[in-house]
Amino acid sequence: MDALLDFARGPFFRFSFAIMALGLLRVIVLDLLGAYDAYRKAGEKDLPWGLIISRSLQWFIPINRVFKYRPIFSSISILFHVGLLLVPVFLFAHVHLWKQAIGFGWFTLSKEWADWLTILTIASGIALFIGRVFTRSSSFLSRFQDYLWPLLLLVPFISGYVCANLTISPKLYQLLMLTHVLSAELIFILMPFTKIAHCVLMPLSQFVSNLAWKFPADTDDAICTTLNKKGAPV
Amino acid sequence: MNNRVRITKLILWSIVGFAGAVGITRFLFGLGATTNLTDATPWGIWIGFDVMAGVALAAGGFVITAIFYIFKREEFHSFVRPAVLTAFLGYLAVVFGLLFDLGLPWNIWHMMIYWNPHSPLFEVGWCVMLYTTVLLLEFSPVPLEETSRYARIRRILMKFRFPLVLLGIMLSTLHQSSLGSLFLIMPFKLHPLWYSHILPLLFFISAVALGLMMIAYESLVSHWLFRRKPETNLVEKLAKAAVWVLSIYFIVKMADIWLSGEWHLMFDGSWESYLFILEMLISTVIPIILFSIKKVRTSTAGQWVGSSMVVFGMIFNRINVGGLTMLRATGDTYVPSWMEITISLGVVSAACLAFLFAIERFHIWKEKPQDPEWEPYTPPVFDHTSEVWLGTPPLAARTKYTLVLLLSFALGFALIPSHKIESKGVEIVPVQKARGGDTLFIDGNHDEYGVLFAHTQHIDSLGQKQSCDKCHHMNMPMDKATGCWECHRYMYSPTDAFNHDWHADAHGGNIACTQCHPKGKERQAETAKKCDDCHLDLLPSDNPIKVENYTAPPYVTAMHELCVSCHKKKAEELSDKKNLALCTTCHQSAPPKYLKAEISKHLSGPYFNHVVIPGVNLKQEKEQLHKNE
Repeated sequence: MDALLDFARGPFFRFSFAIMALGLLRVIVLDLLGAYDAYRKAGEKDLPWGLIISRSLQWFIPINRVFKYRPIFSSISILFHVGLLLVPVFLFAHVHLWKQAIGFGWFTLSKEWADWLTILTIASGIALFIGRVFTRSSSFLSRFQDYLWPLLLLVPFISGYVCANLTISPKLYQLLMLTHVLSAELIFILMPFTKIAHCVLMPLSQFVSNLAWKFPADTDDAICTTLNKKGAPV
Repeated sequence: MNNRVRITKLILWSIVGFAGAVGITRFLFGLGATTNLTDATPWGIWIGFDVMAGVALAAGGFVITAIFYIFKREEFHSFVRPAVLTAFLGYLAVVFGLLFDLGLPWNIWHMMIYWNPHSPLFEVGWCVMLYTTVLLLEFSPVPLEETSRYARIRRILMKFRFPLVLLGIMLSTLHQSSLGSLFLIMPFKLHPLWYSHILPLLFFISAVALGLMMIAYESLVSHWLFRRKPETNLVEKLAKAAVWVLSIYFIVKMADIWLSGEWHLMFDGSWESYLFILEMLISTVIPIILFSIKKVRTSTAGQWVGSSMVVFGMIFNRINVGGLTMLRATGDTYVPSWMEITISLGVVSAACLAFLFAIERFHIWKEKPQDPEWEPYTPPVFDHTSEVWLGTPPLAARTKYTLVLLLSFALGFALIPSHKIESKGVEIVPVQKARGGDTLFIDGNHDEYGVLFAHTQHIDSLGQKQSCDKCHHMNMPMDKATGCWECHRYMYSPTDAFNHDWHADAHGGNIACTQCHPKGKERQAETAKKCDDCHLDLLPSDNPIKVENYTAPPYVTAMHELCVSCHKKKAEELSDKKNLALCTTCHQSAPPKYLKAEISKHLSGPYFNHVVIPGVNLKQEKEQLHKNE
């Protein structure tokens, strides 16, 4: 068990963290390159930059926008995201590990804040999952993985909370700690390749979708070629 | 479909990714975590291969420009662009690879401002910098011809082409040979078979031969890669020229060895002798024989074998001179770590990728090779495993290459040995009390290399008993002159002079928390009482050193700051003791007699901290010190 934990904390952590950091960078770069290609080919070059920026900012601070349509869902979602981002990055124990590894740390949450935010994240995560299952419009849009990833996100939070706060047997502690580390690393690896990549792609979404509606001059023929219906009337 | 290019690119991208992870580790955790270099072998494969061999491999640039522009051999026109491009990328790779090896890479610009005209490295550095610029200017008309927007800049550059070519050849001549001059400083370190007074000349001649063969080799490789018809006739002419240059190199080298009477070393059976014979065979003798036979010279297979022998043989030569043959003199064993090899391969791979990019993008050859991703046109593919549209072929290629890069980077990062990068910080070396009586032997870590300190003499000259405070600036309770070691407890790391746990412990101070931490306030160092609130005799009244907090600096720092600052002042005040602040004033003394038996083994050789400064009469000073003792 110790060897497994050492592996999960050492080489496997470096592997998964590298996949996450470089992988997220990769999707941003690929997106921007694709956007640049699209912009170069587009027949009409005018983009509503003001609208794109204001909409991106509005989505970034979702209070104004989503509250109108689904107030309960959106407020729970905001709470979920706050805990999800703050706790792993600013937890004292995590920062301490960083400090040991790379020599410097940063601002940390107090124990009380971290505990309450963790509970909040777990509770709001479960609430969101239930909402997804029982709201018809949501479940209609969901694939299997859309149920799985939110639940997976909760595993390190639950195991971490138990390890940090409850008095448990050393064996169970090690098992839960291993679960905590491995599940978090699984999430790291999945991040660039799943919907979780929206954590870095969000700012680009408005820009890309606006750009997508600017077609190059001879797009219709290319679409037909792609669909193997060359020469068909558009 | 040209799978050769595709597979080559995949392999190159994966090497770059792997090396990227190691490169980041090198800059985050330093040379110690990534290399097997030691103080005795500070130049390893990064210097031998990346710099020494890298510069030599890029010699094709100046050789081909000389052939084409100076000797007017028009038939070699098709070689000029690829060779100049290779040289440019080669030099970029050298500079980039050097950054990994430099201890303080951010100071690489220092040579531009802080001139040391006596150093061959200074000349090499300047030449490489200038020649890289020249190569950039020589090459930039090629990408600039792609658009008409930069036609004017291109026209100006073309006008200066001839002076640029001349400047390039001149600079190359300078630094190709100066890389050899670097080693003139180590006649006793480098093995005599490689050491020679004419090393600069040998380096230059071999660079010309290697340049010729590099042009041939690169033509062979790129034509194989893109499935083009090989330029056999031109390569044959290069091979013919190489026979002459290699022969000159061989004769000069052998004559040099003969004249310096080192002939017997070639056959004395040491591993260096085998190394030398092997090197000469691969780099010179066999290629000369091969290329002298017309049938071999004109066949593609013969050209492959001969040119690759010269290329790898000369790389071997540069590695031998760059450090491998010094191991006997230093007594060190150095085998490059896999991380060093990875970085070297990664830099080369990145240069190759840049070369392929340029070949496909610009008119390096008469006709651009078709991008393998575009032949023939295929519609976007739906990938059933990932359930995504991979997009157009170039887009899919982008996805694939970056994915390979990502995976190999993560793998490389995971494979870095944990114990190398999980450092516990500076090693704690506890300090022990200075030994002696009237004269103390200050040797904090008891490694027997220390400084003699004439304590009584200092008391006498500084003003008897009243002078204690001048050095003993903080004392333990009930003490008048506490030893340095009691607070400065570690050699190289600071100590908390206030011992909190001792004060709180029942076996120590045994005082309640509230005696120092006021009630109702958070218990922090900032809000607690100061030490001298209770210990009234802690700080002597008129001591020159002000204690601001109770973090005691490392022992070594404390000693130097206290002694040197006072010595500097006295050296100015007293006209007869000008040398008081020199290192040798303290760091030269032999240990006292009662320690001599203990450390007799060190008495025969020079002392570790025996600093020699020109113009200072060491002997006289030493006698003076012994008299004091």
